[in-house]
Amino acid sequence: MQIDVVGDTVCALVTATALAQTGHQVRLLLMPSMVADEVIAGRLPFHEPGLDRILDEQRAVGRLTVLTADQAESLALSDVLFIALQAGEKDVALELTRRQAASHQRPLLVNQSVFPVGTSEEMQLAQDEAGAQGAVVAFPDTLQDGQAWVGFVRPDHILLGCETEWAEALVRELLRPFNRRRDVIQVMSRREAEFAKLAISGMLATRVSFMSDMALLAEELDVDIEKVRQAMAEDPRIGDAYLYPGCGFGGPGFSRDVMSLSSALHQRNSSARLLDEVMLINERQKEVLFRKFWRFFNCQVQGRAVAIWGGAFKPATNRIQNAPSLALIEALLAQGVLIRIYDPMALEPLSSHFSGRSGIEFCADAYQALEGVDALMLVTEWKEFWSPDWTELKRRMRTPLIIDGRNIYDPGFLARSGFRYSGIGRGEAI
Amino acid sequence: MVQEKRPALTQCKAWAELKARADAFAGIDLRTLFEQQPSRVEALTLEAGKLWVDFSKHRLDPGVLETLLALASERRVSAAIEALFAGEPVNTTERLPAGHWRLRAEPEEAGQEVLQQLSCMGQMVHKVHSRQWRGLFGDPITDVVNLGVGGSDLGPLMVATALDEHCPAEGQRPEVHFVSSMDGSQLSRLLNRLDPGRTLFIVASKSFRTRDTLANADAALAWLRAELETDGEELLGCHFIGVSANPDAMTEWGIPQSNQLRLWDWVGGRVSLWSAIGLAVAMRIGMPAFRELLDGARRMDDHFRREPLAGNLPVIAALIDIWNINFLDIRARAVLPYDARLKFLPSYQEQLEMESNGKSVNVDGESVDYHTCPVIWGEVGTNAQHAFYQLLHQGTQSVVCEFVMTGLPHGFSDVKSSTVSQHRLSQANCLAQSHLLAFGSEDDEVDPHRLYRGNQPSTTLHLSDFGPQALGSFLAFLEHRVYVQAAIWGVNPFDQWGVERGKVMAKQFEQLLESNPDNLELLFLPDYSTQNILRRLARTEKE
Repeated sequence: MQIDVVGDTVCALVTATALAQTGHQVRLLLMPSMVADEVIAGRLPFHEPGLDRILDEQRAVGRLTVLTADQAESLALSDVLFIALQAGEKDVALELTRRQAASHQRPLLVNQSVFPVGTSEEMQLAQDEAGAQGAVVAFPDTLQDGQAWVGFVRPDHILLGCETEWAEALVRELLRPFNRRRDVIQVMSRREAEFAKLAISGMLATRVSFMSDMALLAEELDVDIEKVRQAMAEDPRIGDAYLYPGCGFGGPGFSRDVMSLSSALHQRNSSARLLDEVMLINERQKEVLFRKFWRFFNCQVQGRAVAIWGGAFKPATNRIQNAPSLALIEALLAQGVLIRIYDPMALEPLSSHFSGRSGIEFCADAYQALEGVDALMLVTEWKEFWSPDWTELKRRMRTPLIIDGRNIYDPGFLARSGFRYSGIGRGEAI
Repeated sequence: MVQEKRPALTQCKAWAELKARADAFAGIDLRTLFEQQPSRVEALTLEAGKLWVDFSKHRLDPGVLETLLALASERRVSAAIEALFAGEPVNTTERLPAGHWRLRAEPEEAGQEVLQQLSCMGQMVHKVHSRQWRGLFGDPITDVVNLGVGGSDLGPLMVATALDEHCPAEGQRPEVHFVSSMDGSQLSRLLNRLDPGRTLFIVASKSFRTRDTLANADAALAWLRAELETDGEELLGCHFIGVSANPDAMTEWGIPQSNQLRLWDWVGGRVSLWSAIGLAVAMRIGMPAFRELLDGARRMDDHFRREPLAGNLPVIAALIDIWNINFLDIRARAVLPYDARLKFLPSYQEQLEMESNGKSVNVDGESVDYHTCPVIWGEVGTNAQHAFYQLLHQGTQSVVCEFVMTGLPHGFSDVKSSTVSQHRLSQANCLAQSHLLAFGSEDDEVDPHRLYRGNQPSTTLHLSDFGPQALGSFLAFLEHRVYVQAAIWGVNPFDQWGVERGKVMAKQFEQLLESNPDNLELLFLPDYSTQNILRRLARTEKE
């Protein structure tokens, strides 16, 4: 089948590549952006295991064509169109809807973008007004950064907002190769699918912020939050996902979804306050490592140095949008603290984000970052950080203080090894 | 104030002439003046920058104004203006220049010390707005409390309130609170609502010896220590900024060097809002808007320095004040802003004028035989209409009214919005009142209880494009007008000896209150009334 995919999101790239891999002729139309430039030049600007290799492969065999917006301008769009745009590009989506509807009797438009609830219906209206008898379906992007490829080709569940029989049949046909083991497609109205997507993000964020609050209390009560977390996770009504207190969540999509949900709540019902608190707690958590450092040194931090391990918003990605490391670095720089940061993949985006700022050094090696520092702050739990050479750490650091934003180390072991250790709700209460 | 001897005020040629003109004015009311000379409105409306002033509803004519200008010339007002800007010791009793204008001057006139403090202030404001000023536990500051009284309170409070809708361009501004009274209830009520870990106190006192302010600062420190459970020194560095001309006293109290902002003995307290005393204002509206405020004042300074007396706004306003007080014998003035943003203008102006010129001894130490500063009070006009306008319309004495009108609130241009229509309503009230006060009821009212006799003189000031710049110009106008009045009366507007003795005596009375009432006889007591009150107080407290 001839399919067009529009957008420069991870979702667009994954969708286009996966559809091409299963035999379709796919054109990927990229909006002008930094990501677009990179992809056109044959590079993938973010780390998605599986995607980069197969994307190259599909381009090489000619099933996947990558086009810029300029090149796509004069093309007639296919009758099957996937749209996975950034959250702010609703107008572009509506414009594309009209363009596609103008050249087809029965266009199918699959909207994967996270727009406000009700947008897919709006797009349907635009399609109808253009005179076509097509369908718009909502197939909200629930992919996780770093696991997007697996998430698309072997999904646990698929939200499908679809109110037309032939369109559902067609989408099921397109997704057939990814829906084999068991049928994971949940069909509902478009509005419901869009809302469910936001509610999922909201719930996950709420769990994390709740645990961060519990961690604060655990410190006050001299209780190890890790024991409490494990006990909670054993309860089948709760489960173990998203139950880790830490130094905040970030990423391009997650925070945005929660904020979008929160603003929708405000517009309809001003008394809904929970999500505001969830976001506030998260912003506060992004500075928790700074606060511990500040307290440890009795508010006298100017001229001290810290090592930061990890800057990406989570492991296995090089993305730093809304990452906790950014707020932490700003706080430290404002107090005149020298920063030595290491991240296996995100050094480049970090150094361009902080270009021109003094007081921050980007280290190519984790141990190099530790030279003469007064604390090690662990921000992103990359696998390579889990079991470092503690002797080497102690030799290089000026003050053997470990501030662990992801609770990956053992407080008892570190105390016995001569470190001062403070995690989120465990170790020394600072 | 000026080197050469000048004639005593009442010996001036123009003084006698003005007396004669005032006698001739005895039977003429405003209605007649307007009938005789409709063109007076143009002649008596003056403009400078974003401020224009209509003086036409005063009981005077061009002849009076001309003679007042002759008086100004006999009293060497131009030389006095030059002396102010030349940095001469115009504060004669304390032998100091009055340099408040330097605080807003161009860099070469402002001088290094002024620029340096402005830049320190800017850094502090930036740190708070970028949420990087940290409390003891590392939390960003969300609330700033200004502890100050008099000039360290009235000016900043008035400006911060007036310009509240001007948000800083970048970052997030804190809530700013003002605490002045020493009795503690104002402070404790506020502290109940604040998060100690996120509160920053500005201790603003020119001398850093003001009991009121230091009592509040001590209470604030005690509160932080108790709430944050610490006795550590670092508390002061995280939660206090000092603003004073007395760095030693700041250090002694515990403010670290890095948190000290300076002003100087050549800045009077009531004209100090342009200095670091204005920190609370900058915390609220941001540094760019604060600099605009300074810029507006500088524009008025330029006007005052360069404009010939006949078109010089502060000079004309001061001369008309002299006419009303000394020749028409009107000894009260009401300040009536028709804009709630200016709700603290009356108390600011009360201090500015009455503390400056409420004096009966001239610069040579001689008693004066004429009136100086009138009683000044006021209120937001639309509220005052429900309070003391009765007296203005039908009381037994003349009161000069000063109406202050403003342009639309910031950012409102939609003529249909309710803010716009409410603003219109307020303006309409202002115009109705000034009209009725001047011309009285025009119908043939026979019931004496319902009669408006009119003939109450008033000034209408208008601040167009109301914002930091317009407000800055307006406040500098008020300052310079006070200076010109003082030059005519020959008094020193920059000292305030009248408020010193009471502060000293209060210390003695504090001891009396703490002593055993039965032994009161043992202590020196100034008067029987006070003794009586002390005993009664002691008795009540015992019960």
